[in-house]
Amino acid sequence: MTMADKDKKAKKSKLEGKDTGTRNIVIGMILLVILVGAITAVAKNHANTGASAPSAVAANDGYGIEFNKSAPVKVDIYEDFQCPHCRDFEAINNQYVNTLVTSGKIHAVFHPMSFIGPESILTAAAAACASDQGKFLEMHKALYQQQPATENSGAWTNASLIKLGQSVGINASSFTQCVNSGKYLNWTKNIEDYAGQQNVNSTPTLLLNGKALPQADYLDPAAFQAAFEAAGVK
Amino acid sequence: MKKFFTVNLQEWLTLLFRLILGGVLLAAGWIKAMAPSEAQASVRVYQVLPVKVANTFGLVLPWLEIGIALLLILGIWVKWSGLSGGALMLLFIIAIGQAWARKLPINCGCFGNGGVTADGKVHPWVYATEIMRDCGLVLCAGFIARFPRGKFSLDDKTTI
Repeated sequence: MTMADKDKKAKKSKLEGKDTGTRNIVIGMILLVILVGAITAVAKNHANTGASAPSAVAANDGYGIEFNKSAPVKVDIYEDFQCPHCRDFEAINNQYVNTLVTSGKIHAVFHPMSFIGPESILTAAAAACASDQGKFLEMHKALYQQQPATENSGAWTNASLIKLGQSVGINASSFTQCVNSGKYLNWTKNIEDYAGQQNVNSTPTLLLNGKALPQADYLDPAAFQAAFEAAGVK
Repeated sequence: MKKFFTVNLQEWLTLLFRLILGGVLLAAGWIKAMAPSEAQASVRVYQVLPVKVANTFGLVLPWLEIGIALLLILGIWVKWSGLSGGALMLLFIIAIGQAWARKLPINCGCFGNGGVTADGKVHPWVYATEIMRDCGLVLCAGFIARFPRGKFSLDDKTTI
């Protein structure tokens, strides 16, 4: 081995030593990121019992907005106000469902989900604010009728949701305050959490007495009403 | 001279495939990590794991993907991170394949065509394109594992 070779080798191993140190730091940082990320994600994955919820909500029914608790037929409605399929479904069946709710024939539990994004959270929270004003069904209908063509486009803001509320007759300042303060934003997480536990993977999903409505019945009003009657709705 | 060139080319290819596989994993992992409830649904739709297990796995998987992606992109433990990335892709292929066989829609949410439309029709292309994409990534992973030595890697080149 010549002197030059020796020199080269020493230089190289010195370089490698430096590299290993940097590399170990990088490895440590990656492991830390993964561990912290995964652990926080799992730790955060439970209902926030401290989140303020609208008065029509029962924790044991997945924090959904309830009507007619004592009616014999229970209908769980999982939906997202930004979901175009939900809008189509609502356009076809809204009147039938609303009549059953207002006449007290079904125990309806609405679960406004928010997996489509930030404006789903805003709309769900605003609908909860409307529920406190006794106007959930009206707000619900208006949200679908005015559904923006694209999701999370910036169309739904606190201001536009307050205006929508006014259009269905909600003028109380407590509603404005509820929307502006984001009172029920954290509650929407509880809805998501419960929907996940119930294995709800798409919207709309309806459960009649706990049983999922067959896919084909959602957009066919005759089949839809037949399913309700079969479940015991008179 | 010729041999030098091929080795050099292989090292650039390894880098390219590392960036492709790592990039896909990083993007997929990041999107899911930022939308945890959707990530959970995206595991549940395959109806393989019990709901509780699927929900936990859905939260951990995105971070696993991010971790493997970072190792691949920076070139750390390249052989093993390549194999892990490939194993994940094989897992996805199996999951999609069994969903296809059972006619399960695989898009969660409200985006319509997840392989099965509202009228119950099965659309094979939805499954096939996903499987083909993942097969391509398995090939990338295979190349990385076979030729882990590549450009811009933090791995010690003298040991591989």
